[in-house]
Amino acid sequence: MSSDRTTTHPLRPRPLWLNLLAAASLLLVGAGFYLGLVVSPPDVNQGELIRIMYAHVSAAWVCFLAVIIAAVYGMLYLWKGRPMDDVRGTAHAELATIFAGLTIIGGMTYSKPTLNTFWTWDAKLTLTALLFALLVGYFVVRGLIDDRDRRARVSAVVAIIVLASLPFNWMAAEWFRTLHPAKSFDVSASGVSDSADPIFRWILLFNVFAVAVTYVWFSIERIRIGRAQVGLEEQRETTPVTMREAIDV
Amino acid sequence: MNDFTPVLLIAGKDIRQELRSRAITVATLFFAAITLVILAFAVGSDEAILTQIAPGALWVALAFAGVISAAQSYAAEGEENAFEQLLLYPIPRASIYLGKLISNWVYMGFLALILLPTTAVLFDLPLGSHRGALLLTLALGTLGFALIATFYAALTANLRARDSLLPVLMFPVVVPILLAAVRATTSLMQFGNLEMASDWIQLLAGFDLAYLVVCTAIFRFVVDE
Repeated sequence: MSSDRTTTHPLRPRPLWLNLLAAASLLLVGAGFYLGLVVSPPDVNQGELIRIMYAHVSAAWVCFLAVIIAAVYGMLYLWKGRPMDDVRGTAHAELATIFAGLTIIGGMTYSKPTLNTFWTWDAKLTLTALLFALLVGYFVVRGLIDDRDRRARVSAVVAIIVLASLPFNWMAAEWFRTLHPAKSFDVSASGVSDSADPIFRWILLFNVFAVAVTYVWFSIERIRIGRAQVGLEEQRETTPVTMREAIDV
Repeated sequence: MNDFTPVLLIAGKDIRQELRSRAITVATLFFAAITLVILAFAVGSDEAILTQIAPGALWVALAFAGVISAAQSYAAEGEENAFEQLLLYPIPRASIYLGKLISNWVYMGFLALILLPTTAVLFDLPLGSHRGALLLTLALGTLGFALIATFYAALTANLRARDSLLPVLMFPVVVPILLAAVRATTSLMQFGNLEMASDWIQLLAGFDLAYLVVCTAIFRFVVDE
């Protein structure tokens, strides 16, 4: 119909490597579960609770990675104006939201048996909660704008602001309980102390890797769906009203 | 006419408009005062606790009022398509942002100057001896709020549900401002400790500088049609 204007191809055939990636992700996550739940010995200080840490820390790291990537695609969109960058940015923002939610759930699960409360104003947990609120705002704004170009532009702007707010929110969350801002940063955010048996760190890193591969797989699947959506929208816009019934199934 | 002239012209226009209509003043001044009273009622009559929460109450009232005033400053532009005419001028889009930022900042500063003694009286907290640092905290804190509020108000100005959307979007971003401003105010008013406050004031200044750059740079993407 309008193949000269359509920059995307709604229905690309599913490549074999994507199925392989999916299988690899599932295998890795399964192996990560096995390592975390069976192989890992209980920690000296945290006991069996270290097993929550493997899932919780992996989700948190991938969440922040996804926020950064979403903002980078936002910048790319503002720079080049390619619709696909909006699709990619949104896919990563969606995953960031999901992983932020998982991080909060993991943190609360860990908090209940250790501190006997579901919510502590712990710096990292507070930061993730703020991030979750920011990401929800991103999708609320997206849902309210109908014009595709404007929606993409505003989403990109919000994604950049979300990224810019991270260091400040980190400082705020870190200093929330103190009367005096700290002069240095503690970067050992893994929850596994350096003096502990190295097996904990290896299992943690394996889990982070497994979740990261799963994240890549999810993002590719989401971008494929997004590409099809954009293609469909473009087709609708360029099709005369009388012919739309053929497309609107 | 240099690059900064349109900024001052837009700020002047907004301030003049407000002096004539007093639309924002009516909407926010009493609202902020009522917020202070409500907070005092909610906390109870224990004077020690009241004194302790006074800086927090001041900044909560300012934050709520700042959201309304920023939204109002764009709502006025909605009449007679005034904002589209503003966009037609051959000036950088950032001038519009900076102009509105200045007018919102001036207004929030004015509000802060009224609310500060009001809080001091209602919550029985003397202003302390570091008046200069206190004014600096108010200036930098309100600038931080105005930066984010002016930016997001432009973004939400022509959306449905903008009135509830603006605080949802901006409050998670201004959390550091709220925290640093409250802590600096507490240090100055309750403890009279200038050294403790200066670290928080530095955080405020750093936040303001970073967002001034970021928001000015990407504002044109928000208003482009």
